[in-house]
Amino acid sequence: MIRLDNVTKSYSTEVTALKGASFDIAKAEFVFLVGPSGSGKSTLLRLMNRQERPEKGSVWVAGRNINEMPDSKVPHLRRNIGNIFQDYKLLANKTVFENVAFALEVIGRPRHVIRQQVPAVLDLVGLGGKEDRFPHQLSGGEQQRVSIARAFVNRPLILLADEPTGNLDPATGEGIMKLLDRINKTGTTVVMATHDQRIVNMMRKRVIQLDRGVIVRDQARGVYE
Amino acid sequence: MISRIRYMFREMWASLSRNLTLTAAAIITSTISLLLFGLTLLMQRGFDNQLSLWTGDVEMIVYVKHGATPEEVQLIRGQLEAQDTVIESVSYCDEACTFADAQRLFAADPEALKVLTIDIIPSAFKIKPVDRDSGSALTSLKEIVGTLPNVVDVRTPDEQVEVLSKLRGTLAPLILIISLILLAGSVLLIWNTIRTAMFARRREIEVMKLVGATNWFIRLPFMLEGLVQGIVGGLMGSVGVLWLNSTWTGAMEELPGTAGLKGMVVTDGFPLWVCATIVALGALVGAIGSGTAATKFLDV
Repeated sequence: MIRLDNVTKSYSTEVTALKGASFDIAKAEFVFLVGPSGSGKSTLLRLMNRQERPEKGSVWVAGRNINEMPDSKVPHLRRNIGNIFQDYKLLANKTVFENVAFALEVIGRPRHVIRQQVPAVLDLVGLGGKEDRFPHQLSGGEQQRVSIARAFVNRPLILLADEPTGNLDPATGEGIMKLLDRINKTGTTVVMATHDQRIVNMMRKRVIQLDRGVIVRDQARGVYE
Repeated sequence: MISRIRYMFREMWASLSRNLTLTAAAIITSTISLLLFGLTLLMQRGFDNQLSLWTGDVEMIVYVKHGATPEEVQLIRGQLEAQDTVIESVSYCDEACTFADAQRLFAADPEALKVLTIDIIPSAFKIKPVDRDSGSALTSLKEIVGTLPNVVDVRTPDEQVEVLSKLRGTLAPLILIISLILLAGSVLLIWNTIRTAMFARRREIEVMKLVGATNWFIRLPFMLEGLVQGIVGGLMGSVGVLWLNSTWTGAMEELPGTAGLKGMVVTDGFPLWVCATIVALGALVGAIGSGTAATKFLDV
C-alpha cells in the first residue's frame, strides 16, 4: 500500500529530516512511527500525502509514485488518505455534523450521500446524537473522534495519524486507539506517529523507530523501547 | 454539480459578510473609480457632440438653401473646389446629415428641435482649409463664398468652440488618468480583501486541501467574492452615471439657447452603453484582483 524507497528529505543544508528511509507497508497493516521529537515521524507522514516531496528516493502510495504525480492529481490521491492530528483541526464555527460533512462537500459529494454517510460514521466513532454540537461543547476525546470521523467518512484506503492521543488523558487515548484499531480491521491501513509508550506497548503492532531521520528499528508486534 | 454551485455561493456570501468593512471599502473604491471612468466617457461624448461640426480640421461650413437642386449644389461645389490655393478639401453634408448634426447640437433644447425639421433644414459643405491658422485667407474666403447663389450662411468656429476643443484635449485625459489610477487602487483593495479572507479561513483551506479539494474548488468562492465586489461597484457606479447625466441634462436644458452648450448632453442610448461598460469593467477589476490573490495566497 505504501512504499518508501531510500527517501531523503532536508529542510535546509543543516537540517536533514530523513536519511535514506526505506520500508513497505501492506494493505490493512497498522504501523507505529516512534522516536523523539525531531526524529522525522511527521515528515514521513507529510511525505505520504504529498505535503512534502523528498530530495532523493521515491514514495509509492497505492501503486503510484506520488513524487512524479502532477499537482492536479494530488487532490485525488488525498481523497484516499485520511489525516488525523494532535490538535484535531476542527472548524470552530461548524457543528459536528458540518465538520464531517465538510470533507465530503468539498470533494463534490451529493447531498443525499452526505446525509447518509455522516450519521453512519458518527455512530461508528460513538458520537451519535451529538451532531449539532460545536467543537467547544465537546471534550478533547470527543473532538478527536470528530476528527477521526472526518478522516474516515470518505472510506479512505489509508489513515495517517500524527500524535492523535498527544492531547488526551490515558483513558481517553485508549478509547481513541480502540477506535483506530476497529477502523484498521475494516481493511484501512493505519500509520500513526506517536510518543505514547503505553499505547504502543498495549497495541503490539509493527513499530518503525526513527532517530535523527534514520530508521533504527522496524519490528513486527513491537514495543516502545 | 448543483451541490458544488450551492457550496460556492454559500461560502462566497459567508466570506463577504465576514469581512464587511473591507468589502465595503473595496466596493466604494470600485464605485468611485468606475463612476469617474463612466463620466470620462460621457464627457468625451458631450464634447464630441458639441464639436461634431468641426471634426476633421473643418474650419468653415457653408449652408446651402433648403430645396436647392442638385445642379445648384454642384455649382457651389465647383466654385469652392476652384479655390484650391485656400481650400484643401470639400465634403458635402446633405439635409439628412445636417438634420442629424442638429439633433446632436440641440439635444438639450427641445424648442429648437421642434422648429428644426427635415423640411426646412439646409444642407452644407464642410471645408478644410490648406492653412487653418491663416485668419486673413479664411476671412476673405468667407466673404467670397457668402456671395455665391443659394448660400444662406457661412460659419467659422467661434471662440467658444476653440475653448471647448482645448478643454476636451486636456480635461478628459486627466480624468481618465485619475480614474485608471483609482481602478488600479480597486484591484489592489479587492486583492487585499481576498488575501485577508483567505488568511481568516486558513484552517478551512488547510482542511480542504488535506481532504482532497482541488485548488479550483478552493479558489472559486474567493474569486466569486471579488467578482461580486467589482460588479456591485460597477452597478453602483452605473446608478451614479445615470443620475449625474440626468442632472447635467436638466441643468443644460435650463441654460439660455444662446449659451451654445446645448450639445454638451448625451441623450441617446450612450449612457446605457457606458453603464454596461463600467459593469463589465468592474467585473474585470474584481476578477483580476481576486484571481491573482486567490492563486498567490492559496498556500496560507
